Amino acid sequence: MVAALVLMPLLGALAAGFFGRLLGDRGAQIVTSGLLVASAVLSWIVFFDVALGHQAAYKVQLATWMSSGALQVDWALRVDALTAVMLVVVNTVSALVHIYSVGYMAEDPHVPRFQAYLSLFTFAMLMLVTADNLVQTFFGWEGVGLASYLLIGFWYKKPSANAAAIKAFVVNRVGDFGFAIGIFAIFFVFGSVSYDTIFAAAPAVAGKTFNFLGYDLDIMTTICLLLFIGCCGKSAQLGLHTWLPDAMEGPTPVSALIHAATMVTAGVFLVARCSPLFELAPVALQVVTVVGASTAFFAATVGLVQTDIKRVIAYSTCSQLGYMFFAAGVGAYEASIFHLFTHAFFKALLFLGAGSVIHAMHHEQDMRHMGGLWRHIKFTYAVMWIGSLALAGIPLFAGYFSKDTILEVAYAAHSGPGTYAFWLGSAAAAMTAFYSWRLLFMTFHGKARWAGHGHDDHGHAHTPHESPLTMTVPLALLALGAALAGMIFYDNFVGNLREVFWAGSIHVAAGNHVLEEAHHVPEWAKLLPLVLSLGGILVAFWFYILRPRLPVALAETNPLLYRFLLNKWYFDELYDFIFVRPAFALGRLFWKGGDGRVIDGLGPDGVSARVLDLARRAARLQTGYVYHYAFAMLIGVAALVTWYVYRIGVTS
Amino acid sequence: MTIGLGHYLTVAAILFTLGIFGIFLNRKNVIIILMSIELMLLAVNLNLVAFSAALGDLAGQVFALLILTVAAGEAAIGLAILVVYIRNRGTIAVEDINLMKG
Amino acid sequence: MTAALSNDLVLAIPELILAIGAMALLLLGAFRGEGAAGLVNWAAVGVLALAAWATLAGTGEAPRLAFSRLFVVDDFARFMKLLVLLGAALTLPMARSFMARAGAERFEFGVLVLLATLGMLVMISANDLITLYVGLELQSLALYVLAAFLRDDAKSTEAGLKYFVLGALSSGMLLYGASLIYGFSGTTNFVDLAATLGHGDGTGPAIGVVVGIVFLSAGLAFKVSAVPFHMWTPDVYEGAPTPVTAFFAAAPKVAAMALFVRTMISPLGDLAPQWQQIIVFMAVASMLLGAFAAIGQSNLKRLLAYSSIGHVGYALVGLAAGGLQGVRGVLVYMAIYMVMTLGSFGCLLAMRRGGQMVERVDELGGLSRTNPMLAFVLAALMFSLAGIPPLAGFFAKYFVFVAAIDAGLVVLSVIGMLASVVSGFYYLRVVKVMYFDDAVGPLDRPIPLPVRLVVTASGLLTVLYFIVPAPLLVSAEAAAKSLMP
Repeated sequence: MVAALVLMPLLGALAAGFFGRLLGDRGAQIVTSGLLVASAVLSWIVFFDVALGHQAAYKVQLATWMSSGALQVDWALRVDALTAVMLVVVNTVSALVHIYSVGYMAEDPHVPRFQAYLSLFTFAMLMLVTADNLVQTFFGWEGVGLASYLLIGFWYKKPSANAAAIKAFVVNRVGDFGFAIGIFAIFFVFGSVSYDTIFAAAPAVAGKTFNFLGYDLDIMTTICLLLFIGCCGKSAQLGLHTWLPDAMEGPTPVSALIHAATMVTAGVFLVARCSPLFELAPVALQVVTVVGASTAFFAATVGLVQTDIKRVIAYSTCSQLGYMFFAAGVGAYEASIFHLFTHAFFKALLFLGAGSVIHAMHHEQDMRHMGGLWRHIKFTYAVMWIGSLALAGIPLFAGYFSKDTILEVAYAAHSGPGTYAFWLGSAAAAMTAFYSWRLLFMTFHGKARWAGHGHDDHGHAHTPHESPLTMTVPLALLALGAALAGMIFYDNFVGNLREVFWAGSIHVAAGNHVLEEAHHVPEWAKLLPLVLSLGGILVAFWFYILRPRLPVALAETNPLLYRFLLNKWYFDELYDFIFVRPAFALGRLFWKGGDGRVIDGLGPDGVSARVLDLARRAARLQTGYVYHYAFAMLIGVAALVTWYVYRIGVTS
Repeated sequence: MTIGLGHYLTVAAILFTLGIFGIFLNRKNVIIILMSIELMLLAVNLNLVAFSAALGDLAGQVFALLILTVAAGEAAIGLAILVVYIRNRGTIAVEDINLMKG
Repeated sequence: MTAALSNDLVLAIPELILAIGAMALLLLGAFRGEGAAGLVNWAAVGVLALAAWATLAGTGEAPRLAFSRLFVVDDFARFMKLLVLLGAALTLPMARSFMARAGAERFEFGVLVLLATLGMLVMISANDLITLYVGLELQSLALYVLAAFLRDDAKSTEAGLKYFVLGALSSGMLLYGASLIYGFSGTTNFVDLAATLGHGDGTGPAIGVVVGIVFLSAGLAFKVSAVPFHMWTPDVYEGAPTPVTAFFAAAPKVAAMALFVRTMISPLGDLAPQWQQIIVFMAVASMLLGAFAAIGQSNLKRLLAYSSIGHVGYALVGLAAGGLQGVRGVLVYMAIYMVMTLGSFGCLLAMRRGGQMVERVDELGGLSRTNPMLAFVLAALMFSLAGIPPLAGFFAKYFVFVAAIDAGLVVLSVIGMLASVVSGFYYLRVVKVMYFDDAVGPLDRPIPLPVRLVVTASGLLTVLYFIVPAPLLVSAEAAAKSLMP
């Protein structure tokens, strides 16, 4: 069943990818969506069996991938509670996005290709979450990277989309490099890449050191930090986050699926999967906490001033991923995965809702050209409210349960990084609420600013229109999830039932009671996030409904801060200066000088030119005159005689 | 001065060289090439006979006789080819034997 | 005395069959006139087959000498003689339709081929400088005439004239060398030569002998067309009638290589350190020239001429390596090369458009569409000549290079492989023109049956050789062993 679940999306991808022309647009949509829905149903069954039904975790051996000396890598599917949760998240969102795309991409000329990429991505993601060893994880890891690249650059005629795709690919490569070295290190230390073997052997290695360039480094810390670099790349954590906002160049369903709900959470998943390792590396965990908290705060500040509707949500995603990481960093992997779970619903909902708005606005994404839309697209308006309530952590909605838990565990950690995370996280929560309602108010309320801004001329009337059923039904289902997922699963994920629920798939060190203590934090710490969120909403109301002039005035009085935020803390500019331009210069040097002149010049081009040259000369030797031929023979004989006589003189 | 083996060999070498030079210095007439070939074979025969006498071995003289025979046949065939060539081209200048090259 | 003579004659039965057959057919032709051409042609094939059958007798026996040690019969001679007879027997039928169209269907053709083949057999069995010379001249004189066989064609007569002049020059050199060897060693017999030259008293051979060897090798190198004695090859191959060129590329080359190998290995075997460098030089020069000069060629016959120069270079690699393995490599190489080259020329003979022979590379355009089977066989032969596995040509190269590497001639092998890569350029160009260029137009049909048979057989042998490589290897090994002291 698990094998079928994993392979069905691949089947869909192959069918739509290679026989897209044969199937037609409709056929490709039906095949891929149908297979995905089936796969999603199977995932829920697995979830009920393994996670809720407490069935024992099991493995499905598919084949041997490679066997070389000590290196033994299998294709195997590992099914435990953690995997089951991820399966549900991935397949549910993916199935809904597949269906949503039917409506959203209706006018695109390359529908089968799009569906094939979506299914391919899903397959790779499933390989990632079901992997039984690090190499297979890496396979899925790279697979989702590839699919992400293909989908960001889906509209390949747009230069900005191509640039964003390349950026995503390259930045991810930096992280993957760390991940790969981490895998090498693990194989070097443990002699295996299989999770079970590694986890069993890990405690023996804890605390041991190795010498590198004269420094004694802790083995577990090093390995975990290397893995975390990979996670930073994939999950857009501070430093390697720059690709995520640009990735919004891809079609909106892609943003919802890959850049909100699933792929970007792979890093969080990996940390949870490797919790037996991370638990042995406290220094690494502190780094995770600090990086996560910083990201949560940084992304929230940037989100305050963005005007592109998708970019706001993108920064929000970045920020929420920060929450997940610092939760894991303080040892509450369950809380981290819980937030991943709820976040998948409400963030996918927000993205797809934004997609619905964009669809209604004929591909206008700038919020300054929106406003007053709530009259025209009431359903979208409603689901966006639900999503925002969930995101801001308003009680009863999904985000409230997961996010508050995270902030509580940060407080309960009673450590330096934990406190740092608690305060930055709380500040980020206020900002999250602010930019969420800023988005709602700018988009749906106020004066309509969209007259004359219909972008593509495809003959529709220029009145915003509600999306078709294929788009609204997935929205409704996600809204349901965003509203209820937290409430329903709280006890299982982080509450009293968590130990039977996870059944050891997440390892928590014996001394780690942070989730238990989180229930006993002071009342003010529990209430603070809610108060801050409500405050954020009120400020947004004041700024964008009551006194719309105020934000402009504020930006004018603090130009430095405003530009700092608007330019995303100048990360792109900094990277451009430090890495991109030198890399380009180096590349040009190697290309023009190294490759063009030296390698091609001396290599293929040069050799072939010399060969032709020699061929002409050789042919010219053949003059056709008998006396030249005779002369050549005589020269030959004379040379040979001379050589012989000389040689005999030398030897005797 | 007695005439020894060395003298014969030297004369033969000179004749042989003359023959070779006749082939590749001559640009005018193919007949001269035929004559040069005869000269070369003559030099070889001289060599063989001189060696035969010096060694007191008959094989050299037998060899020389065979060469004489074969050379006669060779000359006949050479002249025959020359005749068909002249019929086709109307010239026997060595410089003109240049239809094929490269 | 008579018993000894009859014993000698028994050993020379193949040669006797050819000699008597040639003279009988000459008489037949003389009495019957021009109309006898077809009959003589087929009768000549019969005579060749008979000689081949006679050659097979006594296979596996120890080497035997005859006619006062002038003549030797061993497995090496049998192997090479069979190749030569096969080459001759396959060209004769292919030549008929060509000669008929060229208006030159004369009975002398068959007789001349028989006489040339007789000369080759004598060369192969030569055990004395005199036998060597007589055989060589018998072969050459017939070949001069064959090259000029189209006596109304300017190119053919020019080819004959060039071949004659240069051939005579090379014979002169060979003879001069032979006279020096005779004078300084006191014998012309290979067995005695080996004994005299191999005494190993540390002083090395007399300088006169060495000069003699150089002249002798120059004459032999001319016959196998090794650089720098190759100059006649492209012109003669281009000018001679195509069936004659096929014959040139197959039989005389094999015979001359046999003579070359025998001379170098048996009487001069102990001087290997001296002559090895000559052979290495010739091999390198031939491989490189064969690879480079062919690139610019537009005439297929000329291209194949340069290709044959290159292939002689590869075969000489085996000779340079020497020893059992090296000689075996040469034998295998020559056998496979003969099959490939006969097939290639067969393809040339099969192509005629509007009554004209197709001889230019660009005239092959689109052959894969107009004549797919022929294009396939020619492509396979080209790939094989280039030495691409798993075709026969690859194995030919493989065995000589293995022998060379075992003999420590690594640099030579590397140069050979590089030359092989360069030569791939023009072989593949032929394939490219056939498969990717615009079609020039359909070929004339039908292709004569003998040509079709030869082309098919050589194509099959080339493509399928890798399935049963053993028979050739085993017999080549036995042949090489019989040559070793």
